Amino acid sequence: MHAIPQLLASTILLGGIYALIAVGLTLIFGVMRIVNFAHGEFLMLGMYLAFWSFTLLGLDPYVTLVLGLPLIFGGGWLSYRLVMRPVIHASHNVQVFTTVGLSIALQALALVLWSADSQFVRTSYYAVVVRFAGIALNLAQIAAFVVAVLFTASLFAFMRWSYTGKVMRATAQDRHAAALMGIDTGRVFALTWAVGITCVGAAGVMLAPIYPVYPSVGLQFVLIAYVAVVLGGLGDMAGALIASLVVAAVEVTSSYAIGTAWKEVLYLLLFIAILTIRPAGLFGQRGAEVIGT
Amino acid sequence: MRDPRPALAFFAVAALAPLVVRDAFLLDGLILILMWGASAAAWNVAGGYAGQLSLGHSAFFGLGAYSAALLGTRWGISPWIGLIVGAVLATAFGFILGFLSNRLRGPYFGLATIAFSQVLLLVASRWRGFTSGSEGIPVPFRPGFWTLGIADKRVWVYLVLVLAVLLYLVEVYLERSRRGYQLAAVREDEDAALSLGVAARRLKVAAIAVSAALTAACGTLWAQYVGFVDPYYVFSVDLSVRFCLAAILGGIGTPLGPFLGAAVITMLETSLRARFGGIGAGLIGIYLIIYGVVLILTMRFAPQGLLPWVGQRLRWRPGLGPTS
Repeated sequence: MHAIPQLLASTILLGGIYALIAVGLTLIFGVMRIVNFAHGEFLMLGMYLAFWSFTLLGLDPYVTLVLGLPLIFGGGWLSYRLVMRPVIHASHNVQVFTTVGLSIALQALALVLWSADSQFVRTSYYAVVVRFAGIALNLAQIAAFVVAVLFTASLFAFMRWSYTGKVMRATAQDRHAAALMGIDTGRVFALTWAVGITCVGAAGVMLAPIYPVYPSVGLQFVLIAYVAVVLGGLGDMAGALIASLVVAAVEVTSSYAIGTAWKEVLYLLLFIAILTIRPAGLFGQRGAEVIGT
Repeated sequence: MRDPRPALAFFAVAALAPLVVRDAFLLDGLILILMWGASAAAWNVAGGYAGQLSLGHSAFFGLGAYSAALLGTRWGISPWIGLIVGAVLATAFGFILGFLSNRLRGPYFGLATIAFSQVLLLVASRWRGFTSGSEGIPVPFRPGFWTLGIADKRVWVYLVLVLAVLLYLVEVYLERSRRGYQLAAVREDEDAALSLGVAARRLKVAAIAVSAALTAACGTLWAQYVGFVDPYYVFSVDLSVRFCLAAILGGIGTPLGPFLGAAVITMLETSLRARFGGIGAGLIGIYLIIYGVVLILTMRFAPQGLLPWVGQRLRWRPGLGPTS
């Protein structure tokens, strides 16, 4: 019983980070109707951005986060212009394989630039552990969680209250009607893509002090994000948030109960089960396309 | 008009090459083209003809590779038996995936197949007692046809050629038979096909199961040829993408397309390897970058693949490719 507070705290921290990855994915799906198979690669690039700033420029990852945001946003926007825009009206299959191609190219780019070896961002405080009330937590994890919550909360506020957010939600609900109302849907798609990429890129920067980085690191995180996004209902941002916590809880408790070696098998099976039994997600209605709640 | 002449020419060149060519490097390239072409053609049965775009076909490839390698190293059983065991296992898993495909459409199915192949990867790399874990399995060389211990690459060319022609004939069958037409109807509009009395679900499941079994057979032969089974390779997403890429590049849903795509990719890969040889890990990256870019460009400019694209220009119809 003594382990429960610790498991709970770990779940919340992990869930917060997963949420930031998942929210970007679900935003892109909700507005653009594209499942971004290259999402994990942008996480990886975020991690390498932190790694390079740290080793080449001596910048702390948290400084990199602030300075790098425009860079990540610009990179996201550029990838939209170069890769996604030409296929934005193409069939689903064409879009899926375009993002798959993007994923291969970005992973290979990382392989060329940074080799296949695991790299570490060893900050001076990477092993600092905060203890209170019998719970021990890693400082970098707490920081990542706080940033993730700030990011997710501001994205929610942006989608709910800002004019641009409303425009994005309108496009999500009916892109043709939105276009008839004078909304430049092309720009909305570009913005959505760039914002989604910024979320996952920021998550990558935050993860760099916690996990080693290698070219295919994105896959393991993005698989979790897929699980969370589908569980929450594709396109449903609030659902993704809750589902991230559920997935984190499954991961934390299963690695406590059956060991870390098999926990991934468990959540992948969970994923397949959810897809099979309830493809619309736990909270979603069939065909519901809710954005920003 | 569906003209079999290009296919005849392709397979004839492959069959005659070992009589002229003695160079091991070139023969190896030919074997790989036929091997990847056959794997892509096997993917094409589900992805092209049934329209079920799987991104996890490495699961079946790996099952074939592991079945033969494990049976061979643990109990000394012939890889031919291993091939059949692998195919049976893959068929069983193919039914599961087929069942999933009846519940899921589009990107959901792709996601489920990735998860599916990842589960097998994790089991193969973590179940150390049985599969030797992440170290992989070296396939012992036991000379003889029954044990597939064949040193002569020319024999391998013919072995793989038989598999490739078999795969081609399966695709031709899907082009011309009543079942093939029904499958095309299901792919283009499942509801409309159902309303015409086509057993859509059963057909899709069957197509995926057949595709799985054929992919497993390719996996077995590949492992026996290469002589090593590495879980992180045979179950990887990269490998799954390789199958789709060859089929899509050549012409998805055409019989010859996968082979053409595999030939283009393999030649590209081999020549880049030769050009950038010695740089080590970096060279793998360079050809993979080109790989990804080729996929993006194909999707943008010739989403139906090279074969239909060329065919349109020559007023020649290579097959019943998907319309979308």
